[in-house]
Amino acid sequence: MIRYLTRRLVQMVLLFLVFLTVTWFLLYILPGDSVALKYAGNPNIPPEAREVALERLGLDKPVLIQFRDYMFNFFQGDLGVSFNQYPRPVVDIIGERLPRTLVLFLTALVTYYWAGFVAGKFLAWRRGNRGEMAVTIGGVGLYSMFLPFFAFMLIWFFSVQLGWLPISKFLDPEQWRDAPFAANEVFMRLFWVTLLTAIAMFMASLAAHRTRGRMLERILRWGGGALVIAAFLFYWFGTEAGQGMRIYAGDIAFHMILPVLTLTLINFAGVMLLTRSSMLETLREDFILTARAKGLPEGMIRDRHAARTALLPVATSLVLAVATVIDGGVITEAVFSWPGMGEILISSVLSEDIPLAVGAFAFIGVLALIGHFVVDVLYGLLDPRIRVTEHG
Amino acid sequence: MTADRLPVEVSGGRAPLLEVSGLVLRYDTEVGEVSAVENVSFSLGRAEAMGLVGESGCGKTSVALSLLRLAPDNARYRSGSILWEGVDLLGLSDQQMRLYRWAEISMVFQGAMNAWNPVYRVGEQIREAMYQHFDPPLSKPETNQRLDDLFRLVGLDPAVQNRYPHELSGGMRQRAVIAMALSCEPKLIIADEPTTALDVIVQAQILEELKEIQEDLGLSILYISHDMAVIAQVTDTIGVMYAGKLVEFGPTREVFRRPRHPYSFLLLSSIPSVTGPRRRPVSLEGTPPNLLAPPAGCRFHPRCPWATEQCRNDEPPMMQIGPSQWAACWNAEQVPEMGDQLP
Ligand SMILES: Nc1ncnc2c1ncn2[C@@H]1O[C@H](COP(=O)(O)OP(=O)(O)OP(=O)(O)O)[C@@H](O)[C@H]1O
Ligand SMILES: [Mg+2]
Repeated sequence: MIRYLTRRLVQMVLLFLVFLTVTWFLLYILPGDSVALKYAGNPNIPPEAREVALERLGLDKPVLIQFRDYMFNFFQGDLGVSFNQYPRPVVDIIGERLPRTLVLFLTALVTYYWAGFVAGKFLAWRRGNRGEMAVTIGGVGLYSMFLPFFAFMLIWFFSVQLGWLPISKFLDPEQWRDAPFAANEVFMRLFWVTLLTAIAMFMASLAAHRTRGRMLERILRWGGGALVIAAFLFYWFGTEAGQGMRIYAGDIAFHMILPVLTLTLINFAGVMLLTRSSMLETLREDFILTARAKGLPEGMIRDRHAARTALLPVATSLVLAVATVIDGGVITEAVFSWPGMGEILISSVLSEDIPLAVGAFAFIGVLALIGHFVVDVLYGLLDPRIRVTEHG
Repeated sequence: MTADRLPVEVSGGRAPLLEVSGLVLRYDTEVGEVSAVENVSFSLGRAEAMGLVGESGCGKTSVALSLLRLAPDNARYRSGSILWEGVDLLGLSDQQMRLYRWAEISMVFQGAMNAWNPVYRVGEQIREAMYQHFDPPLSKPETNQRLDDLFRLVGLDPAVQNRYPHELSGGMRQRAVIAMALSCEPKLIIADEPTTALDVIVQAQILEELKEIQEDLGLSILYISHDMAVIAQVTDTIGVMYAGKLVEFGPTREVFRRPRHPYSFLLLSSIPSVTGPRRRPVSLEGTPPNLLAPPAGCRFHPRCPWATEQCRNDEPPMMQIGPSQWAACWNAEQVPEMGDQLP
């Protein structure tokens, strides 16, 4: 496993270098002089000022030198400065935007994988009952829906007609006028608190899965869950730090509901159908017959034996999900005016803010690679047959 | 005398552990009903080893699965009863049946290579069965101790329980399956072709060990095989199935010495015998019938070299021939002698 992962890491770094090089050249070279023209092409500025402007933007040197410098700086954590928001460093901008994208999409990803897996599991288990047809047709219908269209439909329904949810954006500026916090600070707090809660929840359910006592399992699953939620609420309502930030954090969370809902509804059916077929296949395996013969309770056969094993191909599909998240991300962020990476990507390319664009692409590349790596590790953890073999 | 409740006598007057009477099991399919088990009756006493033989597709596994009520979803029990210590298993609720599985009757499945869930350790999969069935539950050290003992009993290093199934060889997996089958102290183990996927040497070893364990622990065992020779070495009684029907039943010795059904006779004469009376080898021709539309009369008549008009029209019931031997053939009395009169 370790050897395999090391090899994968080396591959990833090499792949990333190639990706970065290609991206850099595509973005710096293709538009040719248009960038220089845009930022220093005004015929009314004196030639000296023009020289200075180009030099500041780093556009005066030969292309290969520029490339060498860029790569050199990149690995020292310096991605240059944005042309448009000069002289704000690209790293700063990305540092602000990246968590917003990550939070939105990870939340959606976890939600729709979880919903899809549970739905698929029950569809396969209670095969042939009435609900099955409805859920399947509904799911496939949603799955084949065009994302922006569906998003606008939801916005129209929930925000315009019912007025329950905000139309778009990340927060409500009215409410934040005299806020004692910067949006990013609140957001990061929200992020960490929620992440810790999720991890604690996961651990509780994992512990419950591992135990064999029915009573103990219930206590861990429900008691542990309740305890974690209580701790989460206590943080926001009981502690001073939490109380101050609560309304602002709530506002951000409120703005996340609709995008997460859209992504979940559109994507869960894919996971559901995959889980269903994987589960049906697993149910035909001999070890399920063994589990029955052993007199295990039905719930245990379903969850511990069938669903756990049916999870393997579903985990593999996460690799594809990483890709979907990235391309769907640009559209979703645009539709909901969510100020994340997708939005930077579009605006920086359109406005020819080259350093920002390269930086954004580079980070999206890194994300995709990390996503793949995480899925590999996860798969190794889920399937003991992979865990011990050297070569995957 | 008909097949109902017949062979109680076979087990020598001991109250049988298991008594199957008139079992009829059919599979619903899109093209019709598959008559997989037709009016099968037999009984099995405590600490007794019984064999069930027959060609592929004759319904052996169907009978075995019925005992645990694990036949596939499309199986229908049309009639009959399966009495386990006097309780009809077919009449139990699912919840009650669950308590009989493994604790009373366990099974080594055909193709036990795939009996293991690939994602859990071998020991863990045995533990979960023990956890279900011991009442009061075993403590952790007791469970561990029992696991170690079981592994030693089947000739495995106790450390094997910490491995995953894919890390074991075929023979080891099979031994571990036997350990699992023994784990909850069942009274009966069904071994459905327990060794077919293994090489001959391992096969012989495992059979021998299984036989020893069975005798030491006083278990009953139901061996299922298509191989008469295998069954001969390890069983006290034997049932021969043909096309969903039990056609002969009796003490293994008797049946081998003097088969009373032409099918048993032909099966036996196809294995080379060193000790038994010399017979001219006769081959068994043709293929088993389609169970969607089994032949009228005796199901074996299309392949029987001695079939008469009666065989084609009337279905022979199980009839008592020897003191404890039964056969479903109109000409049972003449069977072995007829073999010598073949053209
Ligand atoms: N689920 C099912 N649906 C329809 N027919 C079935 C089903 N399971 C088994 N059968 C049929 O029932 C008959 C008996 O099958 P069974 O598996 O009991 O035979 P077997 O004697 O164990 O054969 P083998 O030696 O190949 O294991 C076969 O003709 C088989 O095709
Ligand atoms: Mg079989």
